[in-house]
Amino acid sequence: MSAMNLTTRRWISVVATTALAVSLAMVSGASTASAAEVKGGTLNFYTHNEQVAALDPTNMYTGRDIALYGTYIYRQLTSYKMVPGSAGTELTGDLATNTGVPSNKAKTWTFTLRPGITWEDGSAVTCADLKYGMSRSFATDVFNDGPGYARSWLDIPVLEDGSSAYAGPYKKTGQELYDKAVTCSKDNRTITYKLSRSVPDFNYFASYPAAGPVKASKDTGDKYDLRPMATGPYKVKSYKINDKLVMVRNSKWKKSSDPLRKALPDSISIKFGMNEDVRDETDMTDQIPNGINMDGLQSTNTPTYFADPTKAKQRLNIVDSFVTYLSANNSAGHLDCLLVRKAVFFAYDNQSLIDLAGGLKYYGEMGDNIVKPNLGMDYIATKGNIHDPNFKIGGNPEYAKTLLAQAKTACPDAYDRATNPAKGLKYYRPDTADNKKSAVIVEAALTKAGIVIETVYKPSGSYNANLTEYKSQTDFLASGWAPDWANASTVIPEMWGDGCCNYTKNEDTPEYAPFSAKIKKALVELDRKKQAKLWHELSQYGMDQYWYIRTVFSKDQLTWGSKIGGFQEWKIMSTPIYNDLYIKK
Amino acid sequence: MLKYVTRRLLYTVILLLIVSFTIFYIFDLIPVDPARLICSKQCTPALVEANRHRLGLDVSVLEQWWRFLQGLVQGRNYGEGGIKDIYCGAPSFGYSFNRHECVSTVIADVFPTTLSLTIGAFVMWLSVGVSLGVLAARKKGKFADRASNAFVLIGTSLPTFITGILVVLFIVLKFHLVNPLELGDWKNPITDPIGWLRTFFFPCATLALAYAATYTRFTRSNVLEISSEDYIRTARAKGLSEKVILRKHTLRAALAPIVTIAGLDFAGLLGGAIITEGIFGLSGLGKLSLTAVLQTYDLPIIVATTLVGSAFVVIMNLIVDIAYAYLDPRVRAE
Repeated sequence: MSAMNLTTRRWISVVATTALAVSLAMVSGASTASAAEVKGGTLNFYTHNEQVAALDPTNMYTGRDIALYGTYIYRQLTSYKMVPGSAGTELTGDLATNTGVPSNKAKTWTFTLRPGITWEDGSAVTCADLKYGMSRSFATDVFNDGPGYARSWLDIPVLEDGSSAYAGPYKKTGQELYDKAVTCSKDNRTITYKLSRSVPDFNYFASYPAAGPVKASKDTGDKYDLRPMATGPYKVKSYKINDKLVMVRNSKWKKSSDPLRKALPDSISIKFGMNEDVRDETDMTDQIPNGINMDGLQSTNTPTYFADPTKAKQRLNIVDSFVTYLSANNSAGHLDCLLVRKAVFFAYDNQSLIDLAGGLKYYGEMGDNIVKPNLGMDYIATKGNIHDPNFKIGGNPEYAKTLLAQAKTACPDAYDRATNPAKGLKYYRPDTADNKKSAVIVEAALTKAGIVIETVYKPSGSYNANLTEYKSQTDFLASGWAPDWANASTVIPEMWGDGCCNYTKNEDTPEYAPFSAKIKKALVELDRKKQAKLWHELSQYGMDQYWYIRTVFSKDQLTWGSKIGGFQEWKIMSTPIYNDLYIKK
Repeated sequence: MLKYVTRRLLYTVILLLIVSFTIFYIFDLIPVDPARLICSKQCTPALVEANRHRLGLDVSVLEQWWRFLQGLVQGRNYGEGGIKDIYCGAPSFGYSFNRHECVSTVIADVFPTTLSLTIGAFVMWLSVGVSLGVLAARKKGKFADRASNAFVLIGTSLPTFITGILVVLFIVLKFHLVNPLELGDWKNPITDPIGWLRTFFFPCATLALAYAATYTRFTRSNVLEISSEDYIRTARAKGLSEKVILRKHTLRAALAPIVTIAGLDFAGLLGGAIITEGIFGLSGLGKLSLTAVLQTYDLPIIVATTLVGSAFVVIMNLIVDIAYAYLDPRVRAE
């Protein structure tokens, strides 16, 4: 939390010392360079990763990539305001003149393009390009690593096997269905999306490159990833996996058409495949003053770097957008007893686990919700759980025993399974050295409370691919989640409802039906404040069920070189505000 | 002789076929589903199936292998229907959907790095190892011998991942010899020899250290052994100078087995020096293989890098065997 305060204070300080016009422009999301900002130079990024997870807009799905490439080479219909603080969680028009106009109870959304927007070849960005761009999401024979919202929401029938009746722009099967769902005005500047249900936050999805334009004549299918077309202030000059991605100024980009981007550096270079020790040493000794570490430091180097007073202006310790959690299997024959789940919750030694992972300062703090405070109005500090007077971060085995004693009569089968040495609970984990260390802590803490647990190690390489199978067999499953945009609609339904990643197996419990009904209500609620209130109620309900044994609000550390200016946190993205970065003289 | 070479070439082809099929078979046995791995978080069974089809994993292992062989001979289209313009010409090792390129292009792209590293290291370890070995043998029991022993001890006991990190952190970065952003950059040694030296000298030296130590020890013992042969004593008795004896008689005999081993070591490294490439950020065959095996489960890359590595070893073995057969008719007869 201290990091957020620091960022906020810094922002307030900047605003207070900058001309009124500048500050007003910043708050409104517009791009006006401050006096200190310098144009020119090369901005260097470096990373241990071998390549961009996906440079093709249709497959792009990680927050950092969307923030970085969405600032430099892609423009979307909408964008988050590129400003620090909570204002940075608000949407604004980017390619579109506004954040979209919903109608028919948000079953129809309309966006109008700004005039003067061009591709890097100088041709105009049109509605047809936007329509074609989104159509690529349906070509699941080519792209399926990106967000699937277009397939889920557009008013296009779904076949029995769960696939869409429209097969994308290459095969063109069902093209007429897509042409009905997405239409362009005669002047080719206004696009209308017809959805199968009310989606009040469709305009948030419009901030994804996957909903952005692609020029059909320049589409190279799978190979587009290596050389996409730019609409933003920079274009790809060269991209070689495991080597470098170099972006240079897009001469066809017009500042007059873009109220958001400043385009300060002359070029931007990303170095891939840097050894982690080399990367950390580069940071520690400021070898690349105009460089930014994209990964953060290794946990062994983080405390040293953050204790160094000379690095005080080259680091941020932020609460990122991730929640790491341990879900309980609520299905029959597993942890289908609230008292047993609570016993495990109170017995858990969270302090030792967090210490092992980097400590409260750098790894994260105990959470009281699956929605994080970063999400603004959708977060509420829930009651109970970590706020319960019996909760101790190092574990409270005595209280856990009293809960188990109650479970013995209330739900004897679950009690027997949790305490009988011949049965016991199972915890499937990837077979890694770190997990073996943490298993010792978990087993010791639960044993103290009289709970029998066995850690079952599974091959780490195939663990994630087998989660669907494992979730039915294990009693616990650890994972993490970050929202797709600033609305709990991309958290609660996904984690506890019928979304992609509900590992709690709660769907057959009696508590699920009213919960699910309320989720459906929240998803189509058009009044944002009322919707937030519904999310609060759902958060509290889920936490009261102890569907999750623990949630941790994780942290991240950002470090950069001494010649980098304008480094501030973009709260919604958990990244720097790339738009503000410049090279000091 | 021609018959012998033909027979060995045939064996080589059969061996590479067996290696390639074994890779497909092992990959099929691994409990990892690449089709699921590349599926987004909103994955559905239909998407997994679409992926499996796209990756060509929806047919039997035998069929996959047969398609691979066809691609090698006549080139191949990848993906069906939906994917635009994916054709890899012969010899096609496949298409990497992870890297969006034909595998033969990827291999051709990274191979110069591995070749540079291997040749540089080879020259270093042979020149240092053989020179030190000869010196140690000639100065047996004296300071030079003891110093070379110390070098051998250090070289063989320090694993490459330690040597590499020490070199890069405490020499390269400490003295600002190379910009970290340029570490691993490929420079053409013919058009930019200085640039190549800046980038490749330290990786080559790191890789060469362990080999040089082994070769020092091997050369020393070989030279000492040959020096005690009767014909050397005879040469000495005839009044030949020590220099002539060493150059004309001792070294010729002592170096023959060293050259054979060096050839095989060279071939092995052409398959990729995983650790050195990783530490110095060199984009070579070793790093390519490691990423494909541990991170992306990229079967076409795994098959190709393994085959290329195997081919180098097998071909080098063949050359050595032919050389032996040429020198020794008994080998041909066998």
